[in-house]
Amino acid sequence: MKNSPFADLLGALVRQRGVTAAMVVSEADGLIVDAQVSIGMRGEVVAALSASLYRRARLAAQAAGYGETTVLQLEAEQGRICAVGKNDLVLVAVTELGSNIGLVRMEMLKGLQGGALG
Amino acid sequence: MSDDIARLSEELARDPASLAFLELAETLRKRGDLEVAEKVAVRGLERHPHLGTGHDVLARIYADTGVFEKAFDEWGMVLRLSPGHPGALKGLGFVCFHQGRMAEAETWLSQAAEVDPADQRNLGALAYVRQQLADSEPAASTVAAAASPSGPPAAAHDARSLFHDILGAEQGMALLLDEHGLVLAGGHEVDGRDVGQEVGAQLGGVSDEAERAMRHLGLGGWTSIVFETSQATVAMSPGPERSLMLVSAGKATPVGFVRRMLERSLQRATTFLAGSA
Repeated sequence: MKNSPFADLLGALVRQRGVTAAMVVSEADGLIVDAQVSIGMRGEVVAALSASLYRRARLAAQAAGYGETTVLQLEAEQGRICAVGKNDLVLVAVTELGSNIGLVRMEMLKGLQGGALG
Repeated sequence: MSDDIARLSEELARDPASLAFLELAETLRKRGDLEVAEKVAVRGLERHPHLGTGHDVLARIYADTGVFEKAFDEWGMVLRLSPGHPGALKGLGFVCFHQGRMAEAETWLSQAAEVDPADQRNLGALAYVRQQLADSEPAASTVAAAASPSGPPAAAHDARSLFHDILGAEQGMALLLDEHGLVLAGGHEVDGRDVGQEVGAQLGGVSDEAERAMRHLGLGGWTSIVFETSQATVAMSPGPERSLMLVSAGKATPVGFVRRMLERSLQRATTFLAGSA
């Protein structure tokens, strides 16, 4: 079976400590393009929320005259969702609170700059 | 909330003519199950077509769904059944605002303010709408203000400048938005034009959306959203009464400082909404 073009990137992300899900989603409709998700994690909920939040943030930033959105991070009482986007695709990672978000974020930006999302 | 839904559903199943449909539809709406909420409300209204509260609930569901024409019709029906209903007046103002009919929005929100003068959120929305009208038609506004016994909208200025001292030299943005994305306080100018409402329009409902998703994912309540752009860092957090507080600062400002600005703005917003600002 042929790997998806995102397999290496997602694999690198889920190997980070505390990362419970990594996925590429379509910003337009919130559908999962590819994902590596822990058992029990509701990937479709993460995808829908991340795509919607990222799209809203991008449009709000445009309205405010702030240029292109790069990184979005949602913090909750028991975890975080981090998202970076390009070309209608959003790379998403869900992490536990104890994870090193700096490393996760660096890995995501590296993937973005490396052309992983086109 | 699931227990409430089960209880109300059972009550309605036992007695289809029960008014439990009102609470059930509203609970479903708040949970984001808009399709089911609409069905419940419509069925209930088939049995109770002259119940203003029922039409109010259905109007809220349509507004959350983004079907503003139907929401407008339902709130109009509420006013025919219960003249002066503050929820309907605010709702009609909200719909007009979203459709860019500022003068009509101002009329409806003013009537709501007369009925319920203690509603700070409505006063904030009214102040914002008046400010938008003043910005777009300065000459007409001056005439209107001169003709008005209550004078110019001083509250509008207070709401708009609520966070100025917190932003200080950062030249950023501070906006307090209601659950629909309407600006309650603060503002943000680009090229001399206030774009606060345009920013708010994109972020309306974010708080509820994040809350629902966090519940489904078992991650607890959401505490903040920070996004970085090529020119700025923007931070948001949920505020009182389902509001959303948002601040921003230039890219050079440390994220920790932006978060500190957000905390201070949130405290100010809480006081403002409590009506003691």
